[in-house]
Amino acid sequence: MDSRNILIIGGGVAGMEAAKQLYRLGYRPVIVEQSDHLGGHVAGWFKLFPDMLSASDLISQMEEGLDGVDVYLKTRVASMNRLKDGFSVVLSNGTGLLCQAVLIASGFNLFDASRKEEYGYGVYDHVITNADLEQWFRTGADPRVPEEPSTIAFVHCVGSRDLKAGNPQCSKVCCMTAIKQAIEMKEKFPQAEVWCFYMDLRLFGKKYEDFYINAQRDYGVHFVRGRVSEVSEDIDGKVMLKAEDTLAGTQVKLKTDLLVLMAGMLCNEDTSSLAAMVRASVDSDGFLRSRDNIYRINESSRPGVFFAGACTGTKTVPETVAEARAAALDIHNYLSGND
Amino acid sequence: MRERFASGFDPFVLPFLIGMIFVLGYCLFGIVRILFQLSREDRRRFLLSLVTPRTALKNIWDIFANCLLHVKLWKRNRMLGFMHSSIAFGWFMIILLGHIEVMIYCPERVRLLYYPIFFNYFVAENESTIGGAVLFFLMDFFLLLILTGITLAVIKRVRSRIFGMRRTTRPSALDRVGLYSLWAIFPLRLLAESFTAHISGGSFLTIPANWVFRQFLGNDLNMLPTWWAYSIVLGVFMVVLPFTRYMHIPAEMMLIPMRNAGLRIRHPRKGFAKVQVLSCPGCGVCIDACPMSVQKKNIKDCTVYLNRQIRRGNEKRIEEISDKCLLCGKCQAVCQVGVEGPKLRVAQRSARRYGLTPDYSGLDVSGLKEAARGGKVLYFSGCMTRLTPSIGKAVTSVLGKAGVDFVWMDRDSGLCCGRPLLTAGRIDAALGLIRKNEEIILSSGADTLLLSCPICYKIFTERYSLPGVRVVNYADYFNELIQQGRLKLSKSDICYVYHDPCELGRGCGIYDSPRRLLGQAAGIAEAPASREESICCGGSLGSLTLDFKDREAMTRKSLDNLYASRADAIATACPLCLATFSRYSERPVRDLAEILDSSSD
Amino acid sequence: MIDFGFGLSRSSAVRLDEVDLSLYRKLEALEPGVRTCMACGSCTSTCTAGPWSGMSVRKVILNLQRGKNVSDMLQACMLCGKCTMVCPRGINTRHLILSLCRIYDEKK
Repeated sequence: MDSRNILIIGGGVAGMEAAKQLYRLGYRPVIVEQSDHLGGHVAGWFKLFPDMLSASDLISQMEEGLDGVDVYLKTRVASMNRLKDGFSVVLSNGTGLLCQAVLIASGFNLFDASRKEEYGYGVYDHVITNADLEQWFRTGADPRVPEEPSTIAFVHCVGSRDLKAGNPQCSKVCCMTAIKQAIEMKEKFPQAEVWCFYMDLRLFGKKYEDFYINAQRDYGVHFVRGRVSEVSEDIDGKVMLKAEDTLAGTQVKLKTDLLVLMAGMLCNEDTSSLAAMVRASVDSDGFLRSRDNIYRINESSRPGVFFAGACTGTKTVPETVAEARAAALDIHNYLSGND
Repeated sequence: MRERFASGFDPFVLPFLIGMIFVLGYCLFGIVRILFQLSREDRRRFLLSLVTPRTALKNIWDIFANCLLHVKLWKRNRMLGFMHSSIAFGWFMIILLGHIEVMIYCPERVRLLYYPIFFNYFVAENESTIGGAVLFFLMDFFLLLILTGITLAVIKRVRSRIFGMRRTTRPSALDRVGLYSLWAIFPLRLLAESFTAHISGGSFLTIPANWVFRQFLGNDLNMLPTWWAYSIVLGVFMVVLPFTRYMHIPAEMMLIPMRNAGLRIRHPRKGFAKVQVLSCPGCGVCIDACPMSVQKKNIKDCTVYLNRQIRRGNEKRIEEISDKCLLCGKCQAVCQVGVEGPKLRVAQRSARRYGLTPDYSGLDVSGLKEAARGGKVLYFSGCMTRLTPSIGKAVTSVLGKAGVDFVWMDRDSGLCCGRPLLTAGRIDAALGLIRKNEEIILSSGADTLLLSCPICYKIFTERYSLPGVRVVNYADYFNELIQQGRLKLSKSDICYVYHDPCELGRGCGIYDSPRRLLGQAAGIAEAPASREESICCGGSLGSLTLDFKDREAMTRKSLDNLYASRADAIATACPLCLATFSRYSERPVRDLAEILDSSSD
Repeated sequence: MIDFGFGLSRSSAVRLDEVDLSLYRKLEALEPGVRTCMACGSCTSTCTAGPWSGMSVRKVILNLQRGKNVSDMLQACMLCGKCTMVCPRGINTRHLILSLCRIYDEKK
């Protein structure tokens, strides 16, 4: 057996960064990615907070580090079997692999906003998600975004902190994303009034609070503390939303030209079947269960199986990158017998 | 023919006689009491129905078909039907034949209650006469029928699954006394009649048995003890009967005429409610039917246990059971006796005392009245549809395509229809809302009220008084539009399985119209349990206490039934079912209106 | 004393350590879900009775936690169940309201 093969499931930022580091450490990482491109969700994004770095620049920069790494696109893992000192893997394209360690970097799924029926995603003409908006930033093509919106509303926590949507957890990045997108929209449409409807603003990272202050001070973004509960459509096709301004204690309505739903992060729906193949376990929040959530977040309870990125919980891009590097080092230590 | 005892009496009849007099007295007293518990109007109505030829005939037929032949039970499970009708009908025939014998042979004894029962002890008749041969043959035949039934009953106690029942009730201690004495009655009768068969005559069962017994029990001393034993078990059964589930036998004979008279439950415990509770045979068919029983902890919250707890007067449990129920009505649909489980529960809820009562008198509806004016058809979407906006959008789109002159009366805001309050037992409050909505609708000038929510539809048809306004469900209305050629459809390739919402199906009896509509717009498949047997989605507003997490198991059970049809997608006709299914369904879930909208142009 | 037309009025601040929580405690016992409210306001914005009456389940819960009277709002509720449908914490708000209406009965 080639002692240097390492299977990396998922070609997002976590998988890419881990592959690069493992390759540099002298291993032969193999990335298996089910879509037709590398970069995962980040590849669909326009700019990344807090530095407003171009996402496509980041991805192409990361791709450069993958020279010499085997990448299988549009491929899934069909089966994995544990051998005495490694894994026998069969891919959906028929390729067989023997590898020493497995890194699961399968990431997350964006919450399907049409499941929150009351918000009318897929029903009304001017309701989009955060991902749709990023796509529009990149391509400028989306008939749902009006040419000159005078009012734009963002709804936080769509499919997050919501038992009814099947996800009681906070997705943690959407608050910051909403503020970032609100600023971006305000830059495009300075005349537009932009409203953010939030339950709690969770701005925990470096420079996040600055964004909040900028949004308030420099861009005049309005913040309303209250969860939107109903959305209807006006005769002229505009979107009418209802919420409670919980700080003022009054019901409020807003007629808006564009409604952006901040869809949350759920664990990738294929993760549980992947976990079952290597007998890793799934945590109560639906994400993969690390050995602990403080010191061994990259390790599964099974030898030779490692995690990186959003498959163990919601993460920002820098957190994911850092975790990917840590996972690479963990794998290196595991294979060198340094554990 | 000769009478064996000039006196026509023997002390062994006493246990039977005591039991018989006790049970007759008890029932007579009960009937009078219940009659007095009815409201004056209901009592008049009931008594009148008894002498009205049409209802009287229906009563007789219903009692014969349900109490003796158990027709409904046959439809459910043939073994179960046979078991019950063999015992009930056989017993009835034995009593009837006993009376015929007495009337033929010793009419002067006809007033003695025990004579027809113990005829073979007191009267010696020879089976060689035609009368004797026929009567004795029939007697033995029906006794054999009953004994087969009893054998099945014993088997059922041990293995209820053979009879199509996964779960059955646990009988109480007294129920067991009743049960065992009932089981013992007929074997003992066979024994007693066999011992006297060489004196009093017999037929194909009793004569051979008599011959066998006489081989080793030569003397007639065994005769009397067996007749004593037979009389004692009869006596025991009748004395415990009022306190066991066997009370359903006399109670059902009261329930049927009361139902045919059109009575409604007006008091949670008295009158019609009391008769319903007593009519519950405790068979437990409702346990398997109940959507909540998917969770083991809810099994004791089915209607059969409600009835049991009401009999025992266990207030704490009555409240728990009444409040938890989804009011889906399935227990009533499968109930052999027709106990109205949901209504019984709502009656318990309505008896509750609250310190605060809703008050809508100050509600100003002038703005709503304004918004409702200007169309021939008034569309009321209801509260829940605001949370499933796809339905409202589809309904109005279809109406637009058909060129209907309509107004969406609660597009921006509206009042609740009152059904949730009604099911919570707050009837006066519900009536308050109903009056307000009536005011809005009647002032609108529309002649048709269109409803897409079955929860609203049910209360609008049952409790609203809207003279000159036709209340119509959207499935019916859209079918009419298609018939009139106002709506052109192109059938889609998608195959849907239609889920009957409780309120529309069992609640309003509308099963065919949605299917007809769906069949014209798309392919259609049936789930294993559908129509009256449809399984509640678990989202019902009927339950007051079931929490969100508990409902999930019920929704999944209902979905599993729909998946079994192998359709591509699920169709339903209720905003609450739509929202509930969408949460967990692996297949797309759509409302009838959405399907129609995408198939029409 | 001379009244100058101004003076120290009693503070309007709620003394959290002196609040009468007896009603709230009774409600907790009947509907423990009430503890998980995060005051998002979904119930209030969707409330059918809200526009007519100012009914707000969020305020009802908060006022109870602060020892205030809530009976006026409860009387406007239509029990339509929309608040139960939208609550992200899955609180059985209908049962909460019915339970409160009963607790008021016991108070008499």
